[in-house]
Amino acid sequence: MSQTDIWTEKYRPSKFEEVVGQHEIIKRIKSLVQALNIPHFLFAGPAGTGKSTLALIVVKELFGPSWKENYLELNASDERGIDVVRQKVKDFARTKAIKNVPFKVIFLDEADALTKEAQQALRRTMENYSNTCRFILSCNYSSRIIDPIQSRCVSFRFKILEKKDIAEIIKRVSEKENLKVSQDAYDSVYESSEGDCRKAINLLQATASIAMDINSEMIEIIASSTKPTGIKVILDYALAGDFINARDKLLDVMLKESIAGTEVIKAVQKEIWNLQIEPELKVRLTEKTGETEFRMTEGSDEFVQLQALLASFVLAGQGKAT
Amino acid sequence: MYKNLSEKYIAEKYEDFHGQDAAIIEIKKFLAEFPKRRGIILHGPAGTGKTSLALAAAKENNLEILELNASDLRNRLKLEQIVKPATEQKSLFKAGKIILMDEVDGVTGTDIGGIPELVRLVTMTNYPLVMTCNDVWQSKLSPLRAKCKIIEMKALSTLSILEILKKISGKEGINKNISFLSQISLKSQGDVRAAINDLQSYAYDHNIIVDVSEKRDVEENIFNILRKLFKERAPFFDLFDNTKLSLDEVFLWIEENIPREYKNEALANAYYALGKADVFRGRIYRDQSWRFLIYQNIFQSAGIAYAKKTPTQGFTKYENPKRILKIWLHNQKIEKKKTISKKYAKLVHCSLKRVMRDFDLIRPILKKPLVQEQMRLSDEEVDFLNK
Repeated sequence: MSQTDIWTEKYRPSKFEEVVGQHEIIKRIKSLVQALNIPHFLFAGPAGTGKSTLALIVVKELFGPSWKENYLELNASDERGIDVVRQKVKDFARTKAIKNVPFKVIFLDEADALTKEAQQALRRTMENYSNTCRFILSCNYSSRIIDPIQSRCVSFRFKILEKKDIAEIIKRVSEKENLKVSQDAYDSVYESSEGDCRKAINLLQATASIAMDINSEMIEIIASSTKPTGIKVILDYALAGDFINARDKLLDVMLKESIAGTEVIKAVQKEIWNLQIEPELKVRLTEKTGETEFRMTEGSDEFVQLQALLASFVLAGQGKAT
Repeated sequence: MYKNLSEKYIAEKYEDFHGQDAAIIEIKKFLAEFPKRRGIILHGPAGTGKTSLALAAAKENNLEILELNASDLRNRLKLEQIVKPATEQKSLFKAGKIILMDEVDGVTGTDIGGIPELVRLVTMTNYPLVMTCNDVWQSKLSPLRAKCKIIEMKALSTLSILEILKKISGKEGINKNISFLSQISLKSQGDVRAAINDLQSYAYDHNIIVDVSEKRDVEENIFNILRKLFKERAPFFDLFDNTKLSLDEVFLWIEENIPREYKNEALANAYYALGKADVFRGRIYRDQSWRFLIYQNIFQSAGIAYAKKTPTQGFTKYENPKRILKIWLHNQKIEKKKTISKKYAKLVHCSLKRVMRDFDLIRPILKKPLVQEQMRLSDEEVDFLNK
């Protein structure tokens, strides 16, 4: 492995023993790998819990130095169409493994982003090429993977990392990088990372780019400066009657954070219950929000519908329902 | 030799097309699967690239092209004499050929027996027969529809046209003022050829006043419509007929200006109506149920006008719709961010989406020289990070 200065890569475990947390899963996978034969895997769990890392360890253990030629990694959320399955996956799967390994491995990250049609195509591919190729699928929610694929895989549920796991990781990294991390900074990193190991390490490195002596205040400044502008700010503008500003901010946030209307609407729905308005109005606004989300799924213009919703918030700000 | 810009910059390869990805995939498929289907109809409004796509398909596949268009007589006899042999004989110089019948909706009464003969040719041709037309749904074409694969070429979005104009004006070294170009794109209503022609007609006229007056003309028009809508509650069914702008563009103008006219309840009512208009518009797009157009029209006009019990008096300053331009400018800005994120995502086994979302957190890491070297960032990308 070439040297890297990206800590998430530099400190990515390359052996089973180095992985923090997920003990049960590792025990089971290790025994399968030692038999030099693996079934298809389905790794389900939140981001930053070690799914990609384990997939990499599996191929390194199986194939040794020739792992790179026999391993294909695809991210389904970037290439989600059926064409990816038809072309990239098939092309790789249909050729024989190189050197002395019995099969190749395809790691399909965020497989739950694949459309249903693509998943159907994938299912056939998994069957047709199971002699030459094994699949490791990863997803956040296994419920979004169609049943026939689930039944062809051995599933593992990755748990979100606990506080002590994140602490262990911070300790390892800070020792190697000569960082001084205060005890309360450990807590802050854990809080901000929400159990996501990648986020924790990135946060640590971003902070370390300013100083080697790290306390919780610094962590929090970095974390909050990179936090997206909340939906709350936008709703506050609307509640105060400033529709034009609310609308402009909304478009800015959607563009800048590249979030879709459907994600905005989810955040709005959650935020309603934290607003300082009558509970009755909250119910009415929730109804509006639901209607807006429904229209979006029907293929309406997201931004037009969100504007209509914001107009309802303007009224709610005056204690009136639409 | 002087060439029309619209001919000089005609799309010659698949990659030259903008906003027609679906059509390209379909025609590729059609050619690959030939003779599963022997004929294909490309249909859509003028200037969307129907003929260019057929020519490009020939070029991409190194095929000869035999072209007949509306200017040729296309009755049964002619088709039998010229096209039929072509459907049977091999190409002289190339691996194969495509027969292009341009503008088949122009096969008219004087082309006696033209359509039935075409149908016959489609069933037996040894070479792909590509036809183009504006309106594929007219009844005289129905026997042909049944035998052919049908591909729709959509009117291009204003953004796609803007991209094309920017590219051309860059190469030609002519006026590249964005707001000028976006006016032309708006005006073209999805017709690339018209847009490029407009660009050319302004480009060589050094008197830029032409452009401004034209622009003002369009704006006055829409300002009048907005005033009639908001202040006068004018008769609605023809309210949007007197503008060169499409209904969708008028929609953007209304969307932008509602909050300048209405407050509170009226604001909510107006957006409710606009939201409804949008729902019907969505159904039209999705299912081609043009019947719903009347509902879109009414909500977009009367729905807006009667959002308030009595219309607001006095002068309201209406503004240009900003949303589309804002999105376009933003896309330009994040282009570098995207290319950097792509490189990074590959390195750290992570999705592009996620990297884009966490970009601010990762930025200090990307500033490290060692990291930049490992990622092989270009000078422009490094500049972007240091900004």
